[in-house]
Amino acid sequence: MFRKVLIANRGEIALRINRACHELGVSTVAIFSEADRGSLHVRHADEAFCVGAGPVASSYLNIANIISTALICGADAIHPGYGFLAENARFAEIARDHGLTFIGPSPDVISAMGDKATAKRIMQASGVPTTPGSGIIATPEEALAIADEIGYPVLLKATAGGGGKGMRAVESAAEMASAFATASAEAEASFKDGRMYVEKLIRSPRHIEVQVLGDHYGDVVHLGERDCSVQKPSHQKLIEEAPAPGLDPAVRDRLHEIAVTAARAVKYTNAGTLEFLVDGANVYFMEMNTRIQVEHPVTEMVYGVDLVKEQIRIASGERLGFTQADLIPHGCAIEVRVNAEDPENNFAPAAGTLGRVEFAGGPGVRVDTHVYAGAVVPPFYDSMLAKIIVTGRTRESAILRMERALSETRIEGVKTTVEFCREILRDEDFHRAGLGVDWLPNYLHRRTPVHA
Amino acid sequence: MIVTKIPDSMFDDTISERVRPLAQAFTEGGLTRLTLREGDFELELRRTPAPSAHPTAAAGSAGEPAPARPTDAVLADVVGVVRFLRPPVTEGMSLDADRELAFVETLGIRNPVRSRGAGRVAAIYVTDGQPVEYGQPLFAIER
Repeated sequence: MFRKVLIANRGEIALRINRACHELGVSTVAIFSEADRGSLHVRHADEAFCVGAGPVASSYLNIANIISTALICGADAIHPGYGFLAENARFAEIARDHGLTFIGPSPDVISAMGDKATAKRIMQASGVPTTPGSGIIATPEEALAIADEIGYPVLLKATAGGGGKGMRAVESAAEMASAFATASAEAEASFKDGRMYVEKLIRSPRHIEVQVLGDHYGDVVHLGERDCSVQKPSHQKLIEEAPAPGLDPAVRDRLHEIAVTAARAVKYTNAGTLEFLVDGANVYFMEMNTRIQVEHPVTEMVYGVDLVKEQIRIASGERLGFTQADLIPHGCAIEVRVNAEDPENNFAPAAGTLGRVEFAGGPGVRVDTHVYAGAVVPPFYDSMLAKIIVTGRTRESAILRMERALSETRIEGVKTTVEFCREILRDEDFHRAGLGVDWLPNYLHRRTPVHA
Repeated sequence: MIVTKIPDSMFDDTISERVRPLAQAFTEGGLTRLTLREGDFELELRRTPAPSAHPTAAAGSAGEPAPARPTDAVLADVVGVVRFLRPPVTEGMSLDADRELAFVETLGIRNPVRSRGAGRVAAIYVTDGQPVEYGQPLFAIER
């Protein structure tokens, strides 16, 4: 086991990792930016080093200062958390080159899964179903031919794309020429790369992801799935749960099997998540996240496994402490993300100083947070203030418990998603299982009608 | 001021009841560094010179009759290990122009620390070989 771990992150995940380390008897080094001097993750760690100014490029993405801190402190491993440098293959490589263990998969796997086209190709080669589509196409005529083959509607996507730029839904052949021209021009303008590809458009899929763990001895297990279909229009997840409610057992088994096969195929080590789009009985691989995820607690609650501790154990060279047969899920878990943002104004992020802060407690409630009364929410970072996780023997009891937990939650000083999430939990659609990713955007549209 | 190694269980009481009066006495007494150990409680206070935008007296406490001379703090802009020059810069040394005072070594790269103009070395806050964090005061330069 490691002696000392540097936690290359901030906020609730830095605290989460700190807790796992301390339970394992490992001492910790926190890093922080000048804006986070008063943050809870700094207080809880055994040592803390300021690595830069508030903006992330100067601090939490400052590879030289972070590695230098690890060396000065005599750390033997680095846990990157999620976001920031968690999926930066170069960072993992530099850490390794300085004799530090990166708590995550190998740089090669991070790099392969980080490139969407490469990841899709590798998965296809391993027999994993992916969204039907084309390679790079040069003309609207080629796009037409592919669309005829896979069927409308299709999605035109820029190969360099991101954030919806250079992306167009095409409902019929008649729309192709103009859609191709505008999407390609947009991609050229945004990314200086106008190359396009075509993909089948799945209208209302569920976002279901499978958690896997792999050790350095070739053993891979899955820890079931999470349903993360309640997403904001920006595709950011808001409410997650495990298991996926109302999922056909055959589809569930298939997802688990595909995930383990895929992880084995890339010789995956440490914790990872395979994200799928699920449309009835059809499942399509979307991407693999080579890190611990924000919503990992719902899996922990259902399986009784501490995923962060497992990450650290695996990285230190230990074998998985359980087999697939040992992993039996119990009940349901739901997570709500409490963000400092205004649901009445397109979830615009808020910054400021918090006034009163009171979190829920009682049976079946877990709160992962880094904030406290009087804490400053700096403008530089992610707006998440807390994750409230509840468990229940049934989904209905978990929903009622979450409503209760949210009703006990008071955060003053910034706008938050607490009341909005309560509203969602009371909606009868939410109680009815199996919502698609388009549900929340449509709900918002119905809630505040847009008048043209 | 940098506060280190306070067990979490003691944090709230510590801050409100013990550190504040201590910090006040520290500031008023014109000290630059103070370490306190008591059981598993360890506290280190270091005085941060005022940034150059707000010049203050170099070392004297408020109320002393000596006229205040503007002082710049030279801060570490990387995390690394301080390496003094040979021969090292000494307190009281005059600097005729912008010059190198030391290096901060980060991953084998020696990042020069410069005085940003002429002046007199009023204080040296670090020792050769000392690890420093981002923003840590290294030198005070009196203009």
